[in-house]
Amino acid sequence: MTNDAAGSAAVLAAEEITPGEHWTGEFLGFTMNIDTIIATAIAGAIVCGLGLYMARGVTRGRPTTLQLVFEALTGWVQGQVRDGMGLRAPRGVVSLGVTLFAFILICNLLAALPSEHVLPPPTADVNLAYPMMLLVIIWVQVAGIRARGAKKHFGHLTEPYAFLAPSEIITQYFARPVSLSLRLWGNIFAGGIMVSIIALLPAYILWAPNAAWKLFDIFIGVIQALIFTLLTVIYFSEAVGSDEEAATH
Amino acid sequence: MTTRVLAAETTNFLLPNATFFVEFALFLIVLFVLYRYVVPPLSRALDERQDMVRKQVQDKELAARTLQEARERYESELADARAEAASIRDEARADAARVRTDLREQADREVERIQRQGAEQLAAHRAQTLTQLRTELDGLSTRLAERVIGQSLSDDRRRRATVDRFLAELEHTPAGRGED
Repeated sequence: MTNDAAGSAAVLAAEEITPGEHWTGEFLGFTMNIDTIIATAIAGAIVCGLGLYMARGVTRGRPTTLQLVFEALTGWVQGQVRDGMGLRAPRGVVSLGVTLFAFILICNLLAALPSEHVLPPPTADVNLAYPMMLLVIIWVQVAGIRARGAKKHFGHLTEPYAFLAPSEIITQYFARPVSLSLRLWGNIFAGGIMVSIIALLPAYILWAPNAAWKLFDIFIGVIQALIFTLLTVIYFSEAVGSDEEAATH
Repeated sequence: MTTRVLAAETTNFLLPNATFFVEFALFLIVLFVLYRYVVPPLSRALDERQDMVRKQVQDKELAARTLQEARERYESELADARAEAASIRDEARADAARVRTDLREQADREVERIQRQGAEQLAAHRAQTLTQLRTELDGLSTRLAERVIGQSLSDDRRRRATVDRFLAELEHTPAGRGED
């Protein structure tokens, strides 16, 4: 009975929405997830388009709603960066935070569209989550080395106790990257699985949990974008150090 | 079933494929566009608006301070004017008192002078009368007495003594009573 149900569920899910499976193509002998690339391009175009459209008419006078949204995001990121690093904030961190939030948010919100079975949210593919994570982790290391010097930056791992350095290394270079990327990926991927499970329900009842789940998915999308951005700023703050810390050392 | 098998063969959720590089490039493009064209004007607008708000707050504070100063100046000037008015009033009052005193003193002096003048006149009259009496009374009384006793009273010395005594008595009489 259970096996049957599971089997039919798998088949149904495969027919409807198949999380983790992609519409692939070959390019120069490499396999590419074309759906992810198209979705990413669409999300990127939306973010860039809105941003450029907003920037064209940007004014210090009475702002448009779109400008207010961008201002709220930029103001929030600026506040986080200022609180964490003060004047030591490396160049571009605010832009990175704004881009991460806006881009991840739009990517995640693609999951809320009914086109999910054609264009899954690109954040549900590790191929997007990993590059963002890699960029953040490498940039954090570079910023830390530039702010405090390589010796101090890596010497920090042995503080306060040298014997805890292995755990610190695992945290910094393994747990953090993995959790940062897979948290985002997992949450959005799970949304796809949920939709595929809801799709097993009979059509006359399906709409209710589906609508409820899509609403919740929007919430998850916002939260995950927020978490990714916030953690990025926190990692930068930790690597660069705040003004007070610099003053006391 | 075939799909599942295929999925298992071709994809592992957690392993990236060449899409990774495309995605990386796409994200970098988005980052570049926002970094280059979107965030700077936005930050500038934010800063400018903050400056504007700060300036407006400063202007408002300045205006409030100016108003307060004007009000204080007005009140202090009003108080000064009141004090000046009071001092003028006091001065006028003092002047009036002084004029009154002066006038009274002047009047008193005038009264005194008139009284003294009267008294002097009176004394002069009296002295004149006494002198007149002294010359006239002597002959008159002698003649009267001779007529009464029918003989001459030739003894000049005694007669003069009698007249002198009388006159002396008269002189000793207080002036007031003499006037009555």
